[in-house]
Amino acid sequence: MNDSISNPVRRVDAYDKAAGYAQYLADMKFEGLLYGRLIRTPVSRGVLTGVELPEMPEGYRYISAADIPPGGENRIQMIKSDWPVFVSDTVRYLGQTVGILTGPDRQRLHELASKITVHCRTQEAAYTIEEGLACRGGAIHGDDNLFADFHLKKGDPEAAFSQADRIVEDTLETGFQEHVYMEPQGITAEWKEGKLVFHASCQCPFYIRKAVAPSVHMPYENIIVNQTTTGGAFGGKEHFPDVIASALAVAVYVLRRPVQVIFDRREDMLYTVKRHPSQVLFRTALDAKGRITAMDIDARLNAGAFESCSPIVLQRTIFSANSVYDIPNVNIRGRAVATNTVPSDAFRGFGAPQGIFAAEMHMSHLARELGTEESEFKRKYFLAKGGKTVTNGTVREEVLLEQMWSRAAELSGYYEKLKAYPPGSYRGIAPAFYLHGGGFTGSGEQEIINGKVRITGSKDGSAEILLSNVEMGQGTATTFSKIAARVLDIPLDRVKIANPSTARVPDSGPTVASRSIMVVGKLVERAASQLRERWGGTSDESVLVQYEHPPWIRWDQETLQGDAYPCFSWGVCIVEVSVDPGTWEVETLGVWTGHEIGRAIDEAIVHGQVIGGVNQALGYGGLEKLELSGGGFAQHTLADYSIPTSLDFPKVTSFLVENPYEYGPFGAKGAGELVFDGAAAAYAAAVQRAVDRKVERIPATPEYIMEITEA
Amino acid sequence: MVDAYYPGSLAEALELRTERGAIPFAGGTDLMVKYRRPAGVLPELPGPVVLLGHLDELARITEEGGILHIGAAVPLSVIESDRRLPYLLRSSASQMASPALRNVATLGGNIGNASPAGDGICALAALDARLRIAGSQGSRSISLEEFITGPGTTLLREDELITEITLRPSDCTRVFYRKVGTRKANALSKLSVCADAAVQDGVITDIRIALGAVAPKVLRMKDIEESLRGSTPEELSERIPDVLAAYEKHIRPIDDQRSTARYRKTAALRLAEEFLRNLSEEENRE
Amino acid sequence: MNQIHCRINGSPVAISSPGTRRLLDVLRDDLGLTSVKEGCGEGECGACSVLLDGKLVNSCILPVLAVSGGDILTLEGLRETERGRCIIDAFAETGAVQCGFCTPGMVMAAAALLFEHSDPTEQEIRIGLSGNLCRCTGYDMIVSGVALAAERGRGLW
Ligand SMILES: Cc1cc2nc3c(=O)[nH]c(=O)nc-3n(C[C@H](O)[C@H](O)[C@H](O)COP(=O)(O)OP(=O)(O)OC[C@H]3O[C@@H](n4cnc5c(N)ncnc54)[C@H](O)[C@@H]3O)c2cc1C
Ligand code: FES
Ligand code: FES
Repeated sequence: MNDSISNPVRRVDAYDKAAGYAQYLADMKFEGLLYGRLIRTPVSRGVLTGVELPEMPEGYRYISAADIPPGGENRIQMIKSDWPVFVSDTVRYLGQTVGILTGPDRQRLHELASKITVHCRTQEAAYTIEEGLACRGGAIHGDDNLFADFHLKKGDPEAAFSQADRIVEDTLETGFQEHVYMEPQGITAEWKEGKLVFHASCQCPFYIRKAVAPSVHMPYENIIVNQTTTGGAFGGKEHFPDVIASALAVAVYVLRRPVQVIFDRREDMLYTVKRHPSQVLFRTALDAKGRITAMDIDARLNAGAFESCSPIVLQRTIFSANSVYDIPNVNIRGRAVATNTVPSDAFRGFGAPQGIFAAEMHMSHLARELGTEESEFKRKYFLAKGGKTVTNGTVREEVLLEQMWSRAAELSGYYEKLKAYPPGSYRGIAPAFYLHGGGFTGSGEQEIINGKVRITGSKDGSAEILLSNVEMGQGTATTFSKIAARVLDIPLDRVKIANPSTARVPDSGPTVASRSIMVVGKLVERAASQLRERWGGTSDESVLVQYEHPPWIRWDQETLQGDAYPCFSWGVCIVEVSVDPGTWEVETLGVWTGHEIGRAIDEAIVHGQVIGGVNQALGYGGLEKLELSGGGFAQHTLADYSIPTSLDFPKVTSFLVENPYEYGPFGAKGAGELVFDGAAAAYAAAVQRAVDRKVERIPATPEYIMEITEA
Repeated sequence: MVDAYYPGSLAEALELRTERGAIPFAGGTDLMVKYRRPAGVLPELPGPVVLLGHLDELARITEEGGILHIGAAVPLSVIESDRRLPYLLRSSASQMASPALRNVATLGGNIGNASPAGDGICALAALDARLRIAGSQGSRSISLEEFITGPGTTLLREDELITEITLRPSDCTRVFYRKVGTRKANALSKLSVCADAAVQDGVITDIRIALGAVAPKVLRMKDIEESLRGSTPEELSERIPDVLAAYEKHIRPIDDQRSTARYRKTAALRLAEEFLRNLSEEENRE
Repeated sequence: MNQIHCRINGSPVAISSPGTRRLLDVLRDDLGLTSVKEGCGEGECGACSVLLDGKLVNSCILPVLAVSGGDILTLEGLRETERGRCIIDAFAETGAVQCGFCTPGMVMAAAALLFEHSDPTEQEIRIGLSGNLCRCTGYDMIVSGVALAAERGRGLW
């Protein structure tokens, strides 16, 4: 075997987790712990008129906006601060936090909580994108309900449309998706020597610190956030922990006792953030030969009640709205629409899956319309090195999609199956192609984050990596350690990495945007190589490095023009299905995927990401129906919201193609989100071929497939 | 206050039923979910419960004179693997819930819960199951069909327990079982079709069709079944449209978080048709 | 209050508790057996899986009174046995572990399966794990982990 860094190692966290030693938040013990229950609004929109409390026994307290300490403000500091800690007047979504009830015994707490009545005056609410755009019940945000309204233009779409031979229209829709991290949301906060200390299942410890500071009017030095071993997150623990932490901050500030909030699964499903539902309208101009000359795209996301990170999610959606295709003339409008649903937020892919689903399905519909085989049609438009993106940025890497396609086609027997199963044969196979821009959008890494990483070497020959990116299952404890061990030329078990505490680690930024390995891993590599020069393993040394922006990136945040991402990771996915003609149930017969992520720091970890991401995406495409019902969600238990089990999808075939990226450690690019981006579209397109009807939305449930086939 | 009893015998369990009004509790997979509360909080059951899962008297499967007696508290994992039991019942048990659930969940509980989507009930309805019910005044026998009166309601009296399910032998060998769930495993039914038929010397001598989750109760139309008895597969073939039309009139499904009324109805009819078609095409196949 | 006698991880235990209290709460809160996780509290996810008399059960919907006289095994007990070590190692080696929250339940489900089928097929493994949800791995590597444990542990099962 060669000694490539990609060769798999045993994950550093595997044993403790598999043997049950790993301590998650709920497993930790705190002296004198109080439990907290969030008290919520019973309506989606209106005005809080009062809270009726039962008599509080000794040791039980109800804490609300009135308890915010002097100087403190009733707001959670995310990117904006429109989301209040506690409702004091306006109610924007069902289940918004009104107060927190605390006490020592959960039984007692539950009984008291069920005796609290929250009174609200109800107003007409807007739940859907259409209702939001129409400002049903009056605007929720600003005067138009738009958290963001972006426009992009590439080439000269007007001219192309005016010369079009014909124009094809299409509307693609995606639904809500719930993260279903297996460990529900939870945080314990305590007061220690004048400091507010959080233990949180989270992705971004520094976000929490920033989020809670205004509510308790405390400086950052006095707020410490410790990440606890995190049982999955997928974006759901990027901003939402801020909401729990802010309420806890006020409670602990008042009580000076440790307080813990851990959500019950139903509470988690009903009241935590979701993936943005989307609606993408295409108008595509074709010339006389059936070639695409221009596209006009109108993308809308249901952003929910508060802004959170919706504008940035929307950026990903519109930047992905041409998927891997180089369309010469494009007009794109993107809107993030305020509604009275739980705020939509980060979820693996961060807006890209919606854009890519729409683009892939639209291309697939065009191929149908033109009577061209789908892969052949799509491949004609592949971006290539030097090609222009929809933000008029440049693709700087070799694009290996053709090579990946041939391999995937061969592995899956694509062409033979195409012949064997014509459209409408209730069996179908279809491809999707996709890409994911690595790291923060545009200049975010430089202007917002500016991550730092420290590595210390000790006399005993061990080294410790200090950074704020968390292990949440994706394997970074192992991959960061591998990078450092390799550069320092010490055995893997001599590298330490602990769950971060804001009191100990420099801020290397949040664990989001597939940036951990590509951006932060690069910092680890740099820090390690600097340390190596000074440290022989016999002294105590420490090195701190800071992010450096690749010099060639041009980006204008005002106009959203230029290189939105320094590089892209690329994917192809083929899905084969059969559809039961009696029940329209779909059986997935095979899944073949290929990914180009620069270089894998650990092949086994990457394959784990691929298979997990693909299953989550197939769930998104076929199973995970999440419908609004009276402002809440109709499916709010794991019985009714169906995520894949071990029997739903077959073994996934996954291969990697190398194409090292200069600015990533050992050539690595991002992988964690890319692997989610394409499978839902491939699934939908395979179903489409099987029943020979256009699939226009996901999840493509049997009910939906029946509707389109019986129409 | 005692919230749960662990009786030493069926007699004691019945006594607790009568004297304390204790709620029958077999595997608890319905009760513990229905009355669940968050971590660290007791389930809020409407009264004390009497545990049944451990009682030998309710956990046996016996065969006497061709009649099968299935204890009400036999776990589904035992049912799915007992080869004496009809294939239809085993299939349905094997597709209920998950392995861990099947180790404790029971048919008695499935019947007691009386959900229109109960999978055990649908299979048992197709098998013409009868129930033995024990009470303070002795025991009685009643058909499953009569016993379940609607969604969540049964004819169980305050002092009674279901002790066993009895199945009479049947000649049916043309078994058709389809559960359409929310996913491939550990799924609740959107609808299900349990059917069975016997064909002798080219004539359909027995046929039973039970449709689950498409009406307030499992739907079995005995008059239609009766009218099909004695037909040849060819005659059946001609009657399929009429038969389906008759079912269609009685299918009254609902829209809920798991599926739509339209889907339930269409898919149930398609599956019933598939069963009838298979049956009517037998000759050609054989 | 009920008095419940049972064995947990091989030792006799007397529990004084309301009989309908969830076994999960007793194991975690009273006995500190925190390998047993709560992922849903309603029988859907399997994170709370333990063995009762060798059979897989979900402790979140099992009232503690129902385990009277029973023999309960949690991962804390299993990991001290050769069989337990075999499964744990196989999981660690095949990449079956990501966030790890489902893992203790998966290991228990694997044990229950291997006790019954010492040489399971892929489909049997998938059925055996079908009540244990994992959102991270997409299952394939867990299936490989169980297959590896079956192969390596020949004679153990
Ligand atoms: C995760 C999960 C998955 C599930 N999947 C399925 C599925 O696929 N299909 C399906 O049909 N169901 C399913 N269920 C529901 C449930 O498991 C079944 O209905 C099961 O058969 C109930 O049996 P039990 O012994 O656990 O019932 P229990 O909860 O003990 O009792 C249910 C009801 O029956 C009464 N009862 C119990 N025993 C008796 C008796 N001997 N005499 C009189 N009354 C009695 C009880 O008082 C109660 O009202 C699922 C449940 C869960 C939690
Ligand atoms: S916690 Fe018990 S099954 Fe989910
Ligand atoms: S490893 Fe995270 S849920 Fe399975």
